[in-house]
Order: sequence, then structure tokens, then C-alpha cells
Amino acid sequence: MTEKNKEDGVDAKIVKMIVFAIGDQEYCIPILSVREIRGFEKTTALPFAPHYVCGAINLRGIILTVIDLAIYLNIQPQADNPRRVAIIVESKNGVVCGLLVDRVIDMADIDMNDVQAVSEESSSLSGLVMVNNRMIGVLQLETVVGELVGDMVTE
Amino acid sequence: MSGDMDDILQVFFQECDEQLQELERGLSALSDGDSDHETINAVFRAVHSIKGGAASFGLENLVRFAHVFESSLDGLRSGRIVPTHDIMKTFLKAMDVLSDLVVEARGGAGVDHERVAESHAELEAIINSDGAPKPAEDVVPQDFVPVPMDFVPVPMDFEPIPVEMDFGFDEPAATPDLVVSFRPQDAMYERGDDARNILIGLRDLVATVEGGVLSVTCDTSGLPTLHDLQPTRACLSWRVVLPAAVSEESVHGVFDWVSDVCDFSITHEGAAEEAPAAPAVAPVVAAPPAPAAAPAPVSAPAHEAPAAVQAAAPVHEVAPAAVTNAIAGNPAAPPRKTEQAASIRVDLHRIDDLMDLVGELVIAQASIEALSRRNEGAMQQELTQSISSMQSLTRDIQDAVMAVRAQPVRSVFQRMQRVVREACSMTKKDVVLLLEGEDTEVDRTLVEKLTDPLTHMLRNAVDHGIEKVEDRLAAGKPAEGHILLSAGHRSGRILITIKDDGGGINRQRVLETAVKRGIVAPDAVLSDDEINNLIFAPGFSTAATVSDLSGRGVGMDVVKQAILSLGGRVTIQSVPGEGTTFSLSLPLTLAVLDGMLIEAGESTMVIPISSVVETMMIDHRDVYLLPDGGNIISIRGTCMPLIPLAAELGLSKAPTQEALANAVILVVENESGGRAALVVDEIRDQTQVVIKSIEKNYRQISGVSAATILGDGSVSLILDVPALIGTAIRKIDNRSPNARTGLAA
Repeated sequence: MTEKNKEDGVDAKIVKMIVFAIGDQEYCIPILSVREIRGFEKTTALPFAPHYVCGAINLRGIILTVIDLAIYLNIQPQADNPRRVAIIVESKNGVVCGLLVDRVIDMADIDMNDVQAVSEESSSLSGLVMVNNRMIGVLQLETVVGELVGDMVTE
Repeated sequence: MSGDMDDILQVFFQECDEQLQELERGLSALSDGDSDHETINAVFRAVHSIKGGAASFGLENLVRFAHVFESSLDGLRSGRIVPTHDIMKTFLKAMDVLSDLVVEARGGAGVDHERVAESHAELEAIINSDGAPKPAEDVVPQDFVPVPMDFVPVPMDFEPIPVEMDFGFDEPAATPDLVVSFRPQDAMYERGDDARNILIGLRDLVATVEGGVLSVTCDTSGLPTLHDLQPTRACLSWRVVLPAAVSEESVHGVFDWVSDVCDFSITHEGAAEEAPAAPAVAPVVAAPPAPAAAPAPVSAPAHEAPAAVQAAAPVHEVAPAAVTNAIAGNPAAPPRKTEQAASIRVDLHRIDDLMDLVGELVIAQASIEALSRRNEGAMQQELTQSISSMQSLTRDIQDAVMAVRAQPVRSVFQRMQRVVREACSMTKKDVVLLLEGEDTEVDRTLVEKLTDPLTHMLRNAVDHGIEKVEDRLAAGKPAEGHILLSAGHRSGRILITIKDDGGGINRQRVLETAVKRGIVAPDAVLSDDEINNLIFAPGFSTAATVSDLSGRGVGMDVVKQAILSLGGRVTIQSVPGEGTTFSLSLPLTLAVLDGMLIEAGESTMVIPISSVVETMMIDHRDVYLLPDGGNIISIRGTCMPLIPLAAELGLSKAPTQEALANAVILVVENESGGRAALVVDEIRDQTQVVIKSIEKNYRQISGVSAATILGDGSVSLILDVPALIGTAIRKIDNRSPNARTGLAA
């Protein structure tokens, strides 16, 4: 994976990340994979969908599914949050989907060398990083999207 | 650099495809006895263009074959060869070989070299049989374009205009020049040739000489007044002065093709003697302001020609041509011109994108409309007005984009000629394929997807539909079988029929085979229609001998699947002894679908209307509960599974028996006639929806084929009816074999 390679690099690998909150936890994804952020709207339920899939929405003619990251990551979401947003992301192989989060916090320059790996690479979380004394999880987008489209990323 | 070359090569292959189509069209017209000059020219031109292009890319096989093909066609063009049935057959075969060679050059499947050699030999036999010398192709410039192509139609209502033309040459030529005078006979124009070709030939000779100047004089003295003008008579003659450096032989070469239909003489003359060559004051037919569009046929190397000629040029150049056009009396020319002017190549993706955007526009405008209805106020009326004008605009744009994507079915239909020809040669039958309605336009994607099913059906028609020659004669039919392939629009759909005049479906044998293969129960009582439809059952093949062509067991069921996947339907009518007609009814486009909007489990879903048979309320007395909780409903004596839609899709719990009692059901049917009843909460509307892929950003969902966007911007699922029925029938099959009655087909 790219993150892994970056980790191996000697030079500082600064990646601009977008930081968002789910419940009281913070996560980030590379800002280059984000297409847009929009308010959460009503989704259309999909038959036989995994429990973390909220449903499908229409993004200017493209139909995409929204993943409830709280359910996906098994985190207690903020109670009664009417301002949840969907971060629309595009994976490397062109799959577009939405990530439902509680709120977007800010952007941060993260040196990939500072990321401490927490588990094997196929996990949805590639590591943890400290920014301003906050612990932020680095989300492995490709794994999440890979699971969504049904072919498990095994790398 | 090589990238550029590849691009050019691609363009060449695209052009090849077009030329082959042109060739096919021309040869078909010729086979039908429609041999006018323009058709012959078009055929010749097509082969010639392929040859020319292939030569510049060094595609030797292609060039060699195209050359011999061209030479033999030249016999046809010059009238030495009469297009008999056999000769046309040879030409058609040669065309197939040629298109194979093009495919090979493109990097596709290799060709059967024996076949090439065979066709090559046949063509040579034609060339040699005409007894005429081989066309002087090496002498005559190959890039000529027969005249009618380039001419703007000339209105015939002009008056004779006396034009003073002084063609006195005051050129101080010391060496004796070569003077060529020629006068075409009527027969030359009848052959589709033109004096212009000779002039161009001479021009090109002059071009080889350093500083060579060509002087052309047209003698119009033979031209009668317009009143007496006979359009098919040749009245003009030309006098051309060439520089002495041009050899006499090469001039002879130019006249080689027309020596029998054109009087000509070559003399050497001093510049002084040739001066007063007929200062013709004659009614010259002048073309109206069109000359700009007409290419100057002779002027190119003649720029240094005497001023007098230059001054008269506009009239001079156009006049002979215009007259020639009239003389040749070729009505086919003008429309061809317009056809050519009106096409550009556009990447399909761009049009797809445009289509998507227009779809968005339609949706956006529907949601504005919905909003405006909600909003009360003074502006209400004006808002409604401007929305409705926007509505008609978006509809027009949608239609326009659809029209851009539309393509006549001709390209597919013409390919079928070849399919039938090959099927004929394999089965040793003589079948003529007649085409009708090739101009019917359908969406491009549909055109492409029609090829395979049609190929299959036509092969079947030749192989199984048309009887053997002996049988045909015994039945009092002509030995030659006929298949009619026609296309047309019927109530917003396209209807394609394949009609043969063969023996019709032998129902007895079909039924026996179906029983033998275990497709139907031995004691089943089936209607004629049901028996006809058995040929679409998987694994069915009646041909006693498995031929190369059909009878591989995958046949008509694949065809039916293909047509259904396009949202179409297939029906059969068959009269024993008179033939069989297959009718395919297809939607005009794959981007839009007619659907029924239904509510189930708090979701709005779309069911393709083509699969809905009827809608009704359940009568609870017709519902039978199966031991495991499933239900069967009997509708007018036919049993079918009852599918509670929302529960089936996992969107809600299974409904109670009471809830089922008065529910609304839709009877739906799959491709093989299997039926099921879908229980829905409500039927909302019937509408056209734009089909959107759901798999692109997600996975495949069982029971759902695609999605669409409704007027309010929300996503709605389009149900995959065959899959739903399939699952339901499989479930029941496992439970009780008795329930299969009425499901199998």
C-alpha cells in the first residue's frame, strides 16, 4: 500500500489529511481522495446490504452508497446529531462512496513517518498519529471501499 | 511518431468499414439488377479507396487482393462485363474476402488463405474473360474522382447565355506542341465515365513536365439550343494543347480506357498554326453562383496558362462539367453530395456524457417543478410558466441527444447479407435476403448488440427454416428461398421481423424432441404457440444432423436471452408449409426504460413494464399456504409463487396471512414465460426512467438490475424480475414437484 511505502521512506512524507470525528474519536483520510462534503440526506435502502451501509444517494446523476462509519468502526456515534455529514470519497480504482461522519474538524499535515502502525495492513485502520496532543486514527480507505464493492483487499 | 501512425491507421480502418458498407450496398443494388453508373462507380470507388489506403500502409495482402478486385470491377464499369448472377456472386464473395483481409490487417483473426486464393482466381477469370486489355491502371492516375461526386446540383432553368470566349493562344512556343482533340461519344457517358477524367489524366501528364502548361479549349459548336438539348447526347469536344515534352504514348495511355467510345486524334502542331481554334460563340450553359463549390478540374497546373483562358475560367471550367452532368443525366449525384457533407466522427463517450447531463437536467427540472407546486405566492403563475417552457426545452434537448446517438440499422442489416451468403454456401441452399426499413434508426448501443442475435436467427432461418431445394420444388415453391429482414417503428419501440418462406415449424417434431430432452412432461398438453416457443428453451435443437452452422444446442435460447437483456421480446408465428416469422420488439434505447413505480417496504421501486403481465387485488381464497410459510396463488387456474416483495428483498418482515389477503399484486413474467406474483404495498405511477448503474460504485444486488433517479432526486431501484422469479421458482421446485405445472416452459 502507498501508506506503507511512505512509511518506509527516509524523507518526511507529508500528506494533507482531512480530520473528522465519529463520537468522541477522531480519524483522518488523505484530502486528495475527497471529492466533496455534503449534508447527510435521506438514503434509499438497499436489499441485502451489509449493516453498515445506510443506502444509496444520488450525487448529480451518479448513484453511490453511504457507509455509516460509526457502525462500520463499531463506535458509539454522537447522540442526536442533526448535522452529520457525508464525505464523498473516491478510491484509487475509481469507486465513489460516501462516509457518514459526525462532523469534519479540520485539515492537518501528517508526516506518514509519524504514523504508528496498529495492526496488519489489511485492516481498515492503518495506524495512529498524534496531532496537537490528539490521537487520530488513519483510515485505510482502500480497505473500506474494497469491502463495500465486495472484493476484499488482501494486500 | 508511431502513435501518430497508429491514429492514422485507425482512421484508415474506420474508413475501410465505411467503404465496405458502401461496397455492400452497391453490390446488393447491382445484384438486384439495379446497375446504374453511379452504383458501379460507388462500388469501384470503395474498392479503390481501400486499395489506395492499404498501399500507403504497406498492407500487401490487402493491396494485392483489392487490386485484382478493382481490375475485375473495371470490366463492369466499362461495360465489358455484364453483371450476371454468377459474376455478382463472385463479387460478393470477393467482398467478404476483402473484409476478412481488412480484419486481418487490423490484427484480428487470420484469413483462410485458400479462400483468398480461390476468390482471387475467380476474379482473374472474370478479368480474362472480358477479352479486353488490362486496364491501364499504371498510366491513369489512380486518384481520380468521378465527376458527379463533386458537383453541386445545377438547376436546369437557366437560359442560354451567349458567352464570348476567345481562346487564341499567343504563347511563343517554339517547339511543336502536341495537340489532342477528342470527342466523347454518348456511350462514354453511359458507362459512367467522364471527359473530366481524360482532362485530369492529361493534366497529370503535363504536371510531370517542368514548367509544362496545358491549354484546354472546349468546342461547344456542337451544342444545340437548350430547347433541343437531349440530356443523354454528348455534344462537346475538346482540344488540348500539351507541351512537346509529353510523349505520344502516355497520351494514348490516357485514352486507353475510353478508346472505343471516344474519338480522338493526336497531332503535332506549331504554335502558329493552332491559333484560331474555333473562337466559339455558342450558347454555353453557365452555372449559377455555384462555381466556388465546384473544384476547378483543369486549372491546377494551368496557372501560367494564357490570360484569355484565365479570364474566362469561371465560366469555362464550370460549363463543360455542368453540361456533362446534364448529359450524363445522373439523378443519383446530388443526394450523395449532401449525405457526405453531413457527418462527423464523435467519440461515443462524449455523447454518453452529454446524455448523462441531459438526464440530470431532466431530473433537476422535475424537482424544480415539484418545488414550485408547493410554493404558494404571487410569483406562482410566472414561475409555472417559465418552468413549463423549460420543460419543453429539456425535452427537446433530450430528443436531440437521443437522435445523435441514433443510427440506422443498416450497418447491422448489411452484415446479415454476408451471414446468409455464408450460411447458403455451407448448407448448399440458395437463399435471397431481402432487407426492408434499413433506415430505421435506433440507439447505437442497441445496434451493436443486435448483431449476434440476428446472426443466429438468420443462420437458423437458412439452416432450419428454408427447406432443401428438392423439397421446395416438390412443394411447388421457387428453388430460391427468400428471407425478409425488416425493421420499423411501432408505438415507441422498434420492431424487427425475420420472415422466411420455408416449411414452418414442425410442431410434431418440436414436441417430440422437447419430450425426449425432458423439457416438457410427456403428457403435457401445449398450445401451438407454446410449442413454437419451445425452440427457445435451453438445450433444444431439432436439426436431425448437427451442422456446422447451427444445432450446437446453444441457439435460440441464447438469442432470446440476448433480446430480453435488451428489454425486448421475441414472438413467433409459423404456418406449416408457408414459413415462419420471428418478431423482435425492442426499446428504442437502452438508457431509458418504461417502468411501473411501486411502493414496497417504504421504498419506491421500478418494475420494467415489459415484464408486467397484469395487476390485480388478491382474492384470499386463491392463496395457498405452503408448509414452510411460502405462498402459492392460483390465478384463473394457473399456479404461481406469491412473492412478498419487501420481505423478499430483506426490507421488511414477512407479511402476515391477513396482510396478504387484500394486497395488490403484479403478475410478472420472465423470458421463458415463468410467472410469479409480486405483492406490493401500492402501485404509484407509470413513467419513463433513466437507467443508472448501481454496480459501478457498489456491488451487484440480487433481485435488482439497476437504479434510477426519481423526480425528487431520490434513488429508486429497478427490479430484476427474471432473477426474482427464478429464485421463487427454485424454492418451490425444491418443495413440491407438483407445483411446477404452468411454471415450466
